[in-house]
Order: sequence, then structure tokens, then C-alpha cells
Amino acid sequence: MFHHTPLRYAALVLLASGALFQAFTAQYFGLEILTEILILAMLVLALDMVAGFGGMVSLCHGALMGVGAYGYAVLSTTAGLTPPVAMAAAVGITAGISWVIGAICSRSHGIYFIMATLAFGQMAYSYVFEAPIFGGDDGLGGIERLDLSAVGIDLNDTRTFALFCLVALAAIYGLAVMVLRSGLGRSFSGVMHNEQRMRALGLTVWRVKADVFGLSGMIAGFAGVLAAQHIMYISPGLMAWTVSGEALVVVILGGLGTLVGPLVGAAVFVVLKHELSSLTTYWHLIVGVILIGVVMSRANGIFGFIEDYFAARSKAAVATPKATEVTKDA
Amino acid sequence: MLETRNLDKSFGAVHVTRDVSLKLERGERRVILGPNGAGKTTLFNQLVGELTPDRGTVHLAGEDVTALPVAKRARQGLSRSYQKNTLFDGLTVEENLGLAAAIHTGNATTFWSDSLGKAEVREIVKDVANQVDLMPFLHAKVSQISYGVRRQLEVGVALATRPLVLLMDEPTSGVGPEMAKGFHDLLNNLPRDLTLLIIEHDMDLAFDVADTITVLNYGEVVFDGLPDAARGSDLLKEIYLGSWEDA
Repeated sequence: MFHHTPLRYAALVLLASGALFQAFTAQYFGLEILTEILILAMLVLALDMVAGFGGMVSLCHGALMGVGAYGYAVLSTTAGLTPPVAMAAAVGITAGISWVIGAICSRSHGIYFIMATLAFGQMAYSYVFEAPIFGGDDGLGGIERLDLSAVGIDLNDTRTFALFCLVALAAIYGLAVMVLRSGLGRSFSGVMHNEQRMRALGLTVWRVKADVFGLSGMIAGFAGVLAAQHIMYISPGLMAWTVSGEALVVVILGGLGTLVGPLVGAAVFVVLKHELSSLTTYWHLIVGVILIGVVMSRANGIFGFIEDYFAARSKAAVATPKATEVTKDA
Repeated sequence: MLETRNLDKSFGAVHVTRDVSLKLERGERRVILGPNGAGKTTLFNQLVGELTPDRGTVHLAGEDVTALPVAKRARQGLSRSYQKNTLFDGLTVEENLGLAAAIHTGNATTFWSDSLGKAEVREIVKDVANQVDLMPFLHAKVSQISYGVRRQLEVGVALATRPLVLLMDEPTSGVGPEMAKGFHDLLNNLPRDLTLLIIEHDMDLAFDVADTITVLNYGEVVFDGLPDAARGSDLLKEIYLGSWEDA
């Protein structure tokens, strides 16, 4: 069951302050990196919802993000829908597809679930790669951003778009918290703890899994819509399984099942990627070594390590009386 | 309230339940006795739908539920507790009871509000916690409570679905004599309109609680009657009660 702790609140305040500082002070390149972090953060939040709180380790979330991106691109360019309608439709379609995938895969567990979701992701990737309507391997260009000029907001401005993504991420974080603390979220968590018992209590387990997977896919789809608007061009690479794998790496790096951890993971991962790739083309090796280190440390990612550290400190503070107290007793 | 007709189940060459027919009236408290391997738990698994019988039917409140999945039978009023604790270890006692109560009240699938915040869920949680003496442990995590209290919670979780029929698989399994005595009171204090079917090895508890007794041996019903008749049955002494009476 998800709950906020003072440390989690503190981490959220720090992350939000850092993002706001970057959004108001950074130049073009810094703003691009910030937007990349924010969009990745949405994707990994979506993945953490299902993997961290329901044990549904998905390898198709990259593809679901791609469904949102391609859905928006096709609906807003080829179909000629206005951006708000295209956005809503793309997110809705992704949610529907995710629900169906969740329903179908709900009976499988562990490695079989991972493989089933990987298969769905690869099917989507292969289809988009070949289908002329999606531009094949050339991808699709000419994608417009949401037009908010009526309320005096120009999303074509890099700084404004970064701020828009930050507000969207905050709203999505709130949605994820609401879902995980709801009756559905509690049932989902109960299923992860003991699926057989939840069924014996009368819960239609597949339906709960499908519902949360659908909501998670909806968030991934929204991240895809923003990714398409960010670059204004999309290619099948967005749906490759490596995107899902990278998202899983970020969730584990940050802290599975914490919601806050994946946000930390997204920031660390993107900054590392940009910093290390400017030093060496073999930057993946270094990220790999860091990930192995995090996994081998037995802590739940970077944020889990921080939580463990503070928990141990407060335990030690309770166990060890203060020097003045000892003197007084003596 | 609960009826089985000619239930048969085999695993390969092993015949685990043979032609088992039972009929429990509303509010009846029946204890199932039998040596290890008699097919008691397998019978329970067929009743709740965790196993499909090879032959025979299960009826709940007059309706044939043999083809219904586990969750649907539970929603129709058939609940069970397990011989081995099957709780939600990382959660508190309150959250454990709340999960079951949320399913019963239809709050388990809403994504916009917290089920544990709902008045009807809280009422069931409080009510059941009182029934099974869990009030002092409500905010403790399952990992922080003793084994005996976990057994109480095991029954409490099943009760929180407000069942018509409650199947209890060895509720006192692994608890000491003092705790077992507490279970006598706990079971005797349950609402009289709740139908109970209990697998139990504790003879004192069995004869204290039971309105009727059914004895299974090698998957077959070999005795079905009142506790007093069970005490006097030579067949029972031979297959099961000998060691108890001698002790």
C-alpha cells in the first residue's frame, strides 16, 4: 500500500524545487534535458504503478508510450483533428489497448508475464515499422504542439513547454497516488501480496489487474503524446523494447514501489546519459555497472538506499541515549 | 444452506473424495473429523471452487454453484479460512480486514476514493475486530503480531466478507491450549445464523462447538450425526478417536 513519509515529501519538494530552478534559469540545452527527464518520469511512474505495487513487470510500456505518440501524430496530422481532441483520443486509445493487454496477461505471472508483455510490445513495434500510415521506418514529422495561445501560453517556447510538462507530471503523480490509495489500489496491492486469498474473498482478480494496467497505460500514452509534441517527430524507435527495458532500469535504479524513487531515477539516468555520452560512446557500460552496484547493494534503488540510511539513523538515535541523559542517570 | 451431492475427486489413481453428500441447514455448526489424508481439505477446496470435482454438485442457498469460479462463490456468501495463514503480511490488521470488507461492500474497485475511508467498510472492520478480539492489534502489521493472533485474523478476514457459510480449516492449528480455549469462545460467540463447517483436530473444541459431526475416512463419509452419537461410535473409536479416548 502506498503512503507518503516525511522523507518522501522532502524528496518531492527537493525534486520540484530543482526542476523549477532549472526551468527558470537553464538555457535551451538544459531545458531540453529537463523536458526529457519529465517525460521519462511520467513513463516510469506508470511502470512503477504496475510493477512496484502489483508485481506486473511490463516490457511493453515503451510501446504503450509509442501508441500514445503515434495516435496523437496520426490523429492530429493525417486525420486533421485539433490537438486537444487528438490528445484525448490518443490517451483514450492507449488506455483501452493497455486494458486489453492487462486483461489478457493477467493470468500469467513472473517471467511469463514479462514475455507476454514483451510480445505485445514487439507486435506493436513491428506493425508500426511496416505500416505506411505510420510512416514506416521513416517515422512521422510535422507534429504540432498543443495550442494554448487563447490563454496566453505559447507551448512552442522551450521554457514554457518544460513548465507545462512539469505541471503535467505533478498532476500525473497526484493521479497515481490517488489510484494507489483508492479501493482499486488497495485491492491491487492485496493481489500482489496474496492473489489466491483475494480471489477467495470474492475479488475478480483479472479485472483489477486490467483496470490498473489500463490506467498505467493511459499515463504512458500521455507521456507519449508529450514526447511527440516535444520532438515534433516520431519514429518506430520510440516503441522498441529497449525503451521499455530502459524504463525498467530507471525504476529499479530509483526504487521500485516508491513512486518517488523512479522520479529520482529518471533525473539521475538522463543526466548520467548526457554527461557520460559526452565522455565516451560506451556510456551504457558505466550505467550498467552502476545498476549492478545498486542491485547488489540489496537496497531498493537509490531512494531505497536513502530511506534505509535515515531509518537506520533514527533507530540508532532511539537506541542510544544522549550523553546528557547518561550523565544525569549517573 | 450448503449441500453437496455425490462429490468425487481423484488425483490419478488416488481417490480423494468418494461420493460425499452433505447437507447443512442455516445456522448449523458442523465439524468434519478424520485422520490425516482423509480428504477433508480437498473437500473444502471443492466446496469453494479451488478444485473442480470429477463428479457431483455443490449447492449454496439452493443454487447450483458447481460451475462458478472461486470469486463468484465467495460473493454469493461462501467464505473460508485456511489451515496455513494466508494473510497480507506487509499490511496492518485493519488493512487486512478492510480488503475483505471493501470487496463485500463493492468498494474494492473504485479508483477515486479510499475504501478504508468508507463508513460501511470501517463498520465491518470494527465489528469483526470486536468479534475475533483484534481491537488491540488493529494498527499493528501482520508481521508484528503473534501466531495465535494471526489465526484469529485468518478467521476475521473470512468473516469480513459477511458470509452465509464459513468454512474453517483447522482454525486452532498450531496454537497452544490457552489460545485454543479462546477459540471456543470466539466460535461460540459468532452469530447463530452463520452456518459453520469446521475441520478440526482439537476434539474438545469439536464437541464443544458442533451441532453435528461428519467423519471422513479415505475420502468417504463414514459417520454423519450428533456429537453424542459420535462419542459412542465404535467405528469412530477405531479409525480416529481411539488415541484421544485413551489419552
